[in-house]
Amino acid sequence: MKRYLKLYVYFLRFSFSKAMEFRVDFTFKIVMDILYYTVNILFFKVLFLHTPLLAGWTEEQMMIFVSSYILVDAISMTVLSSNLWWLPFHINRGDLDYHLIRPVSPLFFLSLREFSASSFMNLLIAIGIFAYSLLSYSQDISAWNVLLLILLLINGTLIYYCCQMLMILPVFWTQSTKGFMDLFYSMGIAMERPDKIFKGWLRIVFTIFLPFALIASFPVRLFIEAFHWPTFFHLTAVSVSLWIIMLYFWRRGLRTYSSASS
Amino acid sequence: MKWWKHVAALELRKILAYRSDFWVTFLGQILIQILVARAFWQMIYDSQGVTTMKGYTLEMMNLNYLIIPIGTRILTGENIGFLAREVYDGTFTRYLLYPLSVFQYKTITYLTYSMFYVFQLILIYCLFRTFISSSPFMLADVGNLISGVLFFFVAAAVYGMMAILIEMISLWADNIWSLAVMLRFFVSFFGGGFIPLTFLPAWAQETLLWTPFPYLISLPVRTIMGLSNFAEVSKGVLILFIWILFFWGVVKMMLKKGSIDIRVLEYETLPKTLCLFPAFFVL
Repeated sequence: MKRYLKLYVYFLRFSFSKAMEFRVDFTFKIVMDILYYTVNILFFKVLFLHTPLLAGWTEEQMMIFVSSYILVDAISMTVLSSNLWWLPFHINRGDLDYHLIRPVSPLFFLSLREFSASSFMNLLIAIGIFAYSLLSYSQDISAWNVLLLILLLINGTLIYYCCQMLMILPVFWTQSTKGFMDLFYSMGIAMERPDKIFKGWLRIVFTIFLPFALIASFPVRLFIEAFHWPTFFHLTAVSVSLWIIMLYFWRRGLRTYSSASS
Repeated sequence: MKWWKHVAALELRKILAYRSDFWVTFLGQILIQILVARAFWQMIYDSQGVTTMKGYTLEMMNLNYLIIPIGTRILTGENIGFLAREVYDGTFTRYLLYPLSVFQYKTITYLTYSMFYVFQLILIYCLFRTFISSSPFMLADVGNLISGVLFFFVAAAVYGMMAILIEMISLWADNIWSLAVMLRFFVSFFGGGFIPLTFLPAWAQETLLWTPFPYLISLPVRTIMGLSNFAEVSKGVLILFIWILFFWGVVKMMLKKGSIDIRVLEYETLPKTLCLFPAFFVL
């Protein structure tokens, strides 16, 4: 564990020095993410001009939800996205060879090697928006509730990661350039809507098989509404199952992988 | 075979290189978008206890969100980096050898993508007409569909110019991907891709009329849905032409100020290139 932490510190150093070499790109990326946050907040602000409640939530509750998925997105963009973007290229070009022979977990290395320094600035902004939405919430909130929400959002980031990996891993078999990444990004919209809108079979899809509704909506519901053990167990069970499924396909993929030399 | 046919055939082969991925992604994206939008708006209409909001019934809202993802693809044509990638990879110089200018080449590749998405739009339209014929999806009759698609092509010309402007920044900046994504955000939000523009406050709607955004997505979609009349469409197309002239001027200016002087950047050929858009012939 200590070895992995030390390695991660090296990743951070390397990523920051690399980002500083491309300052214009660094600035553009920050502005881009700010725009993404603004558009998302504006979308719900406009809707609340026409309705007092959305999925049973008031505007201030909805802002907690919006800031939560923005936070998950920011964590993911900072820590994981750059790495996962390059994964299909590594698989197709045979670059995975270099990672397989290293004395560290290839999944760890390939998922966390690049830390996006420009997105880190946006992560700070996202944390600010999240904190603001909590501080401006008119109901009483306990520190325990806030801690639980943060932990569940970190878990949400892991769900997001697993879903993204499951859309990329078919590259091992199809050798396509991106796998189903575009489809994954489209599915992201399910994360950006309250889970209560999904009914019937669609609810089963988005809360079990493609659990995007569990990323931010479930944690916020546990935070805003009374704590509900079945919801918590559901969240835990799906998260663990998804992690196991992702690892299974990762290992199957590695077995299928034909290296550059073969 | 004419040169443009070669270029178009080449691009088509690229688009369909990974067929299963392509169709799964395409159908999956459409399905997800429409299902989530339907569930979301259903909840809003039900909770409000209304059948119409800002001129949209629930079925019209569904149709709106069905057309938008494909319409946006027609608009945005080729992927981000269609020019910048060549600048960064150094393949930009190949146009020195090609018997056509970079803008002619890129217009055809852009149009090939747009045409392919038109085919997808027609396919989805036919599927809905066949299988959901009892719903007001029938609102979209063939005449409206054709007018809307032509409108999208004119809009694609404007968006293409805006995209070229962004892509040309690659001659100076080390990465333009974020800028191109920003352009898409702007166009989607202020063009009515996220939410129908009638939901925005009146002052915002009036302000937007001074920009090209409402004519890029909202008006073509409303045309397909049969919600806009001839006068609105004509005015919209005219305004788009004014924007084309404006952006063309900016492209010219940028090329003059460009730090490189490559013969292939023959901006004089641009008006001729733009005539390739079928919508221009219609007008």
